[in-house]
Amino acid sequence: MPVLFAHALVQQSYSTLNPASPQARLVDRLGDSMFITAAVVFGLVVLALLWAVFRRRDSDEGPAEDARREWPLRTSALVATAVTTAILFVFLILDVSVGRSITTNPGKGALQIRVTGHQWWWEVQYRDSLPKNWVTTANEIHIPVGRPVVFELKSTDVIHSFWPISLSPKKDQIPGDENSLWFQADSAGVYRGQCAEFCGHQHAKMAFLVIADPPAEFASWLARQRDTALTPTDALARRGKEVFLASPCVMCHAISGTPAGSRIGPDLTHLASRRTLAAGTLPNTRDNLIGWIVNPQVIKPGVRMPPNQFSGPDLLALVAYLETLK
Amino acid sequence: MCSRFRDSVILSAVLALSLAACQREERNFQGLPSGSAVANPKVREVELVPGGNVPADSRPGPYEENAYAVSQGKTLYNQYNCSGCHFQGGGGIGPPLMDADWIYGSRPANIYETIAEGRPNGMPSFGRKIVPDQIWQITAYVRSMSGLLRKDVAPGRTDDMQVRPQEQSAQKAKPVQSAIPKSAEIP
Amino acid sequence: MISAADSGPDDGQWIMPARNYASTRYSSLSQITVQNVQQLQLAWTFSTGVTRGHEAAPLVVGSTMYVVTPFPNLLYALDLTQPGAPLKWTYKPDPSLASQGVACCDLVNRGASYYDGKIYYNTLDAHTVAVDAKTGKEVWKTKVGEITRGETVTMAPLVVKGKVLVGNSGGEFGVRGWLTALDAKTGKLAWRAYHTGPDKDVLIDSRFKPFYSQDQGKDLGVTTWPGDAWKIGGGGSWGWISYDPELNLIYYGTSNPGPWNPDVRPGDNKWTAGIFARDPANGEAVWAYQWSPHDLFDHDGINEQILLDLPIKGQTRKVLIRPERNGYIYVLDRTSGEVLSADPYGYITTSRGVDLQTGRLIEIAEKTPVTGKVVRGICPAAPGMKDWQPSSYSPRTGWLYIPHQNLCQDVETGEANYIEGTPYVAATVKMYAGPGGNRGVVTAWDPVARKAAWQVKERFPVWSGTVVTAGDVVFYGTMEGWFKALDARSGKPLWQFKTGSGIIGQPVVYRGPDGKEYVAVLSGVGGWAGAVVAGGLDVRDSSAALGFVNAMKDLPQVTTKGGMLYVFALP
Repeated sequence: MPVLFAHALVQQSYSTLNPASPQARLVDRLGDSMFITAAVVFGLVVLALLWAVFRRRDSDEGPAEDARREWPLRTSALVATAVTTAILFVFLILDVSVGRSITTNPGKGALQIRVTGHQWWWEVQYRDSLPKNWVTTANEIHIPVGRPVVFELKSTDVIHSFWPISLSPKKDQIPGDENSLWFQADSAGVYRGQCAEFCGHQHAKMAFLVIADPPAEFASWLARQRDTALTPTDALARRGKEVFLASPCVMCHAISGTPAGSRIGPDLTHLASRRTLAAGTLPNTRDNLIGWIVNPQVIKPGVRMPPNQFSGPDLLALVAYLETLK
Repeated sequence: MCSRFRDSVILSAVLALSLAACQREERNFQGLPSGSAVANPKVREVELVPGGNVPADSRPGPYEENAYAVSQGKTLYNQYNCSGCHFQGGGGIGPPLMDADWIYGSRPANIYETIAEGRPNGMPSFGRKIVPDQIWQITAYVRSMSGLLRKDVAPGRTDDMQVRPQEQSAQKAKPVQSAIPKSAEIP
Repeated sequence: MISAADSGPDDGQWIMPARNYASTRYSSLSQITVQNVQQLQLAWTFSTGVTRGHEAAPLVVGSTMYVVTPFPNLLYALDLTQPGAPLKWTYKPDPSLASQGVACCDLVNRGASYYDGKIYYNTLDAHTVAVDAKTGKEVWKTKVGEITRGETVTMAPLVVKGKVLVGNSGGEFGVRGWLTALDAKTGKLAWRAYHTGPDKDVLIDSRFKPFYSQDQGKDLGVTTWPGDAWKIGGGGSWGWISYDPELNLIYYGTSNPGPWNPDVRPGDNKWTAGIFARDPANGEAVWAYQWSPHDLFDHDGINEQILLDLPIKGQTRKVLIRPERNGYIYVLDRTSGEVLSADPYGYITTSRGVDLQTGRLIEIAEKTPVTGKVVRGICPAAPGMKDWQPSSYSPRTGWLYIPHQNLCQDVETGEANYIEGTPYVAATVKMYAGPGGNRGVVTAWDPVARKAAWQVKERFPVWSGTVVTAGDVVFYGTMEGWFKALDARSGKPLWQFKTGSGIIGQPVVYRGPDGKEYVAVLSGVGGWAGAVVAGGLDVRDSSAALGFVNAMKDLPQVTTKGGMLYVFALP
């Protein structure tokens, strides 16, 4: 019952009860089998309890009667214990086997992505064997369908936890350490993930998107991400670029192809290609972007980005420029 | 004294102490109002005023007692590359910040001006690149480097390789205002 | 054994920083000998009026001496014909005050070159000036770099075939390194070779024939970097240039890649921490080699290279010898860039040697810095086995006289944020003395036997240059301020004189108008090693001055700042 209720509440792509990868499916099945077994055992225990409570007792049974009844009771208790142990042992084996199959490194064909947790956003880096092809982006992870992807998980400040909900169980990102998890998406789609370890004021708004694309689309997305930001042709956007470079933005944000190269905040080189802002907090629309730039503290109080003062024309130019960063 | 009276005395003391600690933990996410005089100080560096008798500018900075702001200031100090020239207070390209000598004044408003306006011998002007609230946070941290902040406000030991004693333990160095730069070089 | 690169018989002058294009810093004057150097006495002095690190070599052209000071880069001309060498004129270039904020390692200047009646030198704010050697009037002044991007210039230019060669500093500021040639008459740009980026910027074309396969390929200055990191990749050339007139090639090295944290810049990071051979007329690259591909320790590749003809395996080879920062004395065939040998000249924990088949430095993985981790016992430290301080070569003994240091370090690398005009380093460093406890060494190196002939230990890094004479005397200065003479054959100390401040300058030997032999050196502590005194830094922060302060905490107790020229002669 609770399972069905939970199903109804959450969306397709945002539930552990809706696995979208073989790894998540294994875990889901393990969970289901444990649940069903536990439910059956629970039922039996309840029945046994009811029997124990409501069985008829003759008031004047003596010690001899008790002794006669003791042996079958003892046997039942022993059998129940043995069966429980056996069930638990089966669970242990299933558990270990599922655990092993989802952690064993998938091998050389896998795509490597490094995800570094920051308060309160995700730095995503695609590392190629040729350094020139490295891509750094933020908060939105594209992966090819049907190919295993290995995530190296790190953190720069506090413990975060990377949880691509429908695709994989979670794994902590511990500062000073490196963890990894891997999975493979079955089908194309947009899957939401969440930080799963309390990491400060805005832990609740630290989400990310995993977008599984067919391989050809993924390849073209990656190729576009490798490009540096082009100089805008539109006059307003050109002015916006000047505003960007002359403002506090460059202290924290990088846009490849410009002198801005700071890594304190998310990389903005392809900001306009992302679906959300502020780590999954807002849809990436013009109005939301303006609101975020002017006062992020209203939307996500405590976040590292301060409120910014721009004149009206400068702000419009800036946003026009940021919208060219596809 | 009777037990109930003693209990209420203890309770009041505990409440008072816990409330006193509130200020060091205040989070001011909206920052300081940027148009205010506090955010953009006009401050005097020199001691001589003709006609005399004008008191020195001793406005406290807004974050002198706020441990959260000081720790944010420390993070920004390293991330904005202040440490690239001043290191962890010992200096290098820029002068030391952990000692008692202040070329342009040690008052919070002086330090704010130094960061925002820059100074002629190589200190860049950050006023258009760092918002006033963050400059105040960095100012408060800089003052902690020479022990000018209270021990419960200054940062403790970091998890990084230790290169200097923690700011909390820094002995308060009585500031020498407008000292000759130790690196004076113009003939 | 000196090659034809040595420009002509010694006329008793000193017209370029290394005395000649082969960079031998050898004087064939022999009035001062091992026997009589004990009598050497102070002839005259001159106060520069500046109290930062004095690294320059005084020039002597005819009967005039020229001295370049640290910032504000004054040029003094002194009349050697008069007693006490009075000042003839002063040239003041008025460099921008703000340039002091983007100079990583004190406000030094390594000196000038004389050519065709003019004195050429660079100012900290990235200008090159040509000053009339007789009158002191400015002939031209050309801006070569942008201080707002973190570029400065501290090196001594070399003038080759009418071209003034200038390289930039700023590997700690994420600049893009280059070597620029200006026309000596007009100051106009003749060519500029960048050290990162596409081949057309690096002036790599059909003539380029690197010896090793790792240096062959198209646009390696782009593909060996992530994204567009090469634009802020460092690789300046702030050190020494040599020239072979016979082969018509200039040789010079490139600085460290930026930032110091190597995790941020995977790949070999070409063409940083390497050496180029180029045609001085148009800058075309003829060959290149990287001493430290994907440098991990700020081991700039800009040290001096001495051009010699040496017997190697029965043949006489045209070589260059480079006492390199990463701890090895390299002997390279200067026609092709082949590494003939690479032998350690101090204590090394960071590498095992150089693979002569591939030419590659064999690094030791445990010493590789990893972001967020502390790595200890890195030897040699960031200043290397030897930094900029130049060695000299005596054709009489056949040995190199190398002033250097013995330092190790601990490092923790961190998050690198490139903010234009601010340091781009991302490393916290703590240096300390290497094994033995002596932080400085003077090594006499036999390049044929490939080992040290003798070594003299010093308390502090020997940050001054050396000069060696035909009288078999080696001169150098210590950071306490002692100017010393050693026997070139045995290393035995023969004479010393205590100057007013630590010495980090390049000593020179010249013949005065009166026919006597003089030895001149600038005293005035500073530079990266002396920043704790020159900058008035606080010794309680071990990471100050990029970690050097930790190794120099006692320096303020033995020397103060100064700025004085000392000239010595026999009575």
